[in-house]
Amino acid sequence: MESARGVRRPRHEQEAGAPQGGDATARDCRRRPTTRWLLRPGRRAREQERPAAARPRRRAQGAGGLNAFKQVIDAPVASFFASCVHCGLCAETCLFYTETGDPQYTPIHKLEPLRRTWQQEYTLLGRLARLVGLAKPVTDAELEAWSPLVYDSCTMCGRCSMVCPVGNDITMMIRKMREGMAAAGHAPEGLVTATQRSIQSGSPAGVKWVTVQAQIKRMQKQFGISIPVNQENADYLVLMSSWEILNYPEYLGAVGRIFNKAGATWTLSEHAYEATNSGMQIGASDLARELVGRIVKAAEDLKVKCVISPECGHAYTAIRWEGPNLMGRRFGFEVKHILEVLDDLSRTGRLKLKGSIDKPVTYHDPCQISRRGGVHQQPRTLLRQFAPQFREMTDSGVMNWCCGGGGGVSANERAEPLRIISFKRKKAQIEELGISTVVTSCANCRVVIEEALEHYHMDVELLGLTELVAEHLAED
Amino acid sequence: MKRHSDSALGIALSEAGISRRDFLGFCATLAAAYALPASSVGAIAAALEKAPRTAVIWLSFQECTGCTESLTRSHTPSIEGLILEQLSLDYHHTLQAASGEPAERARAESMRANAGKYLLVVDGSVPLGNPGYSTIAGVSNVDMLMETAKGAAAVIAVGTCAAYGGLPAAQPNPTGAVPVSHLIKDKPVINVPGCPPIPVVITGLLAHFLTFGTLPELDERGRPKIFYGESIHDRCYRRTFYDQGKFAESFDDEGARKGWCLFRLGCKGPVTYNACATTKWNNGVSFPIQSGHGCLGCSEPDFWDVGSFYKALSMPVTPVGKAAVGAAAAGVAVGAAVALANRAKKAAAKAVHQTVKVEDLEKKP
Repeated sequence: MESARGVRRPRHEQEAGAPQGGDATARDCRRRPTTRWLLRPGRRAREQERPAAARPRRRAQGAGGLNAFKQVIDAPVASFFASCVHCGLCAETCLFYTETGDPQYTPIHKLEPLRRTWQQEYTLLGRLARLVGLAKPVTDAELEAWSPLVYDSCTMCGRCSMVCPVGNDITMMIRKMREGMAAAGHAPEGLVTATQRSIQSGSPAGVKWVTVQAQIKRMQKQFGISIPVNQENADYLVLMSSWEILNYPEYLGAVGRIFNKAGATWTLSEHAYEATNSGMQIGASDLARELVGRIVKAAEDLKVKCVISPECGHAYTAIRWEGPNLMGRRFGFEVKHILEVLDDLSRTGRLKLKGSIDKPVTYHDPCQISRRGGVHQQPRTLLRQFAPQFREMTDSGVMNWCCGGGGGVSANERAEPLRIISFKRKKAQIEELGISTVVTSCANCRVVIEEALEHYHMDVELLGLTELVAEHLAED
Repeated sequence: MKRHSDSALGIALSEAGISRRDFLGFCATLAAAYALPASSVGAIAAALEKAPRTAVIWLSFQECTGCTESLTRSHTPSIEGLILEQLSLDYHHTLQAASGEPAERARAESMRANAGKYLLVVDGSVPLGNPGYSTIAGVSNVDMLMETAKGAAAVIAVGTCAAYGGLPAAQPNPTGAVPVSHLIKDKPVINVPGCPPIPVVITGLLAHFLTFGTLPELDERGRPKIFYGESIHDRCYRRTFYDQGKFAESFDDEGARKGWCLFRLGCKGPVTYNACATTKWNNGVSFPIQSGHGCLGCSEPDFWDVGSFYKALSMPVTPVGKAAVGAAAAGVAVGAAVALANRAKKAAAKAVHQTVKVEDLEKKP
């Protein structure tokens, strides 16, 4: 698909966060003790990196936030607010509402300060009301109070946008509202730290190129493959998320084995290995643009034909859908999700699979890939080739339930108790099937679900789809 | 008017040569109209036969006498007419033989003798402007109405003038005409609108009063639901053409000759609630639509002021005037102004946007 399609914005925006933060489980710690500190950027940053007095201030933040609200309200937002019929249907689609029963988690309610800004700034009656003192102006204190609703209780999974009877894209409005919240300094600390790391060191978890190099060596040794770096004119530029570099490097090995088999040329880039985009998650387009720009520059410098977004939900949204809009131009290359590429290879006969998994498996749809990204048939086509006992969860595909950690929530330590509660929905879905093997294609979903499985003492195995595909390559 | 003996209705009927069969037929019609079971026909007949004479005072104000004409000329001889005669019609300008002071005395006597029990029937609207606009024996209409209504059991406003003001109240309403219900608030006022009303509606109403001693259920406009519960349109025999979209486009076209729907020729049937399409007129011979002319809506309030009789209901009542065009233009202008202001505001917000740097993300200390 062409990058131009990114300009036409689908119902998307953001999600399922990437690796920047969240807690590593005890299991993770045992497995990767050396990297655990990287996964707790918030705490570490607090302790070591930022003496409070040294923080530079450029302006009053509250004003910046309200100005950003005024900036992000465009024709779609205005018509969305004007057409809301207050039916409350969105509440029942939000797992933060269904799992808590707390009406403050009704999706459209999370936008209340933005709605009031629209009413008071852009409608005739609202302006008159404000003029005669009948309307309560939006204050900075209010924005601060709203921060948990906008950042902790929304994973931007997009489920509410699917059911709105008047077609309001609530998720897109949350993404826009975060612009003002971030500019006003009301983003949660975990996300702030992740964003700072992304800008300063290239990765929300502080992963540097040397770490990637170490993993490249490991994978080359483990699978006996060669992993090309900085190679010009390759078919594919492969990106990774921090989670994959640190926790699931087997993804890299899997991609290498598959491409070698399929005879595709590919490469990694020293200058763009990180696919995640904390700037988008926190709602700072200026920063998101810089992060996307690094990938675009590297890809165009290397003259690759296609950039592959890894098994990370929001990374796909950031590069594929937001990217061209942030950059304000078309890319000189295609952007695809790894599952799209695998499906293409399979259809054209370059990827042949064999063997079968002798147990029932199900697939957890990552929101940004299935619902917001449209990649929900491909994983099923691939899975069915070697998983005859594949079974669907209730509410699968585009109406799946979020893992509870997307949209930067997994990087937000403040949101952790709520995230654990919201997982009950996924727990119920898995238990209903009575299955102990779940496949997914988002490293962040994987980490969030693994943590929650530990918390609820569930004996469920979680697998990445690309790795599974690599394990079922036909020898021929 | 000639007075019958004080005997009950049954005797009067037989004296007038009305057969028992005809009488029961009338009772059955009433039972059907009032949605009573067939078994009640006998009960109605028995009650009517024994009904004592009820005194009625009939006042005519700003009217054309059409209502009285309608009643008295309807069917000759008719059971309706006889029921009317069965009432002791003690005062009625057009019908009473007496004139001058004896006539007024008859009214005063009846009011005294039947205080609290007589029915007051009014046709015509009441002028509240100059009292001299309409007087009877030197008494203004409003004074006579208030005086006579005082001792009445109920007031029946017959005709559209008495019910809604009628033609005298048409714009600009020079006499300040008002309907009866505008003045009488302390007792039941039953509206029997129509220009004129259907005779059987009046007699049916009276028969109900004689049979049950009560008045039938009224709608929100004070009309008996049994006669005014359904629109002409819903009961019209041409309704099927409306549903098929077959309309007469002029009074002499193919559609008109085929008896298609008259909606496009201005028929007000869809918004007119009356019994014309079911009871019809002239002893059930016909009604306006059957004769090829659309309903005027004569039993509806303001029918005289809602535009041409020949303009389809789907057309605006008054021509889209300069005011409407002006309002639309003003709306567009306001919309454009708001849009421009909003665009400017958004541009201003964009202009003062300061690039968000990572250090801006931290909370203010």
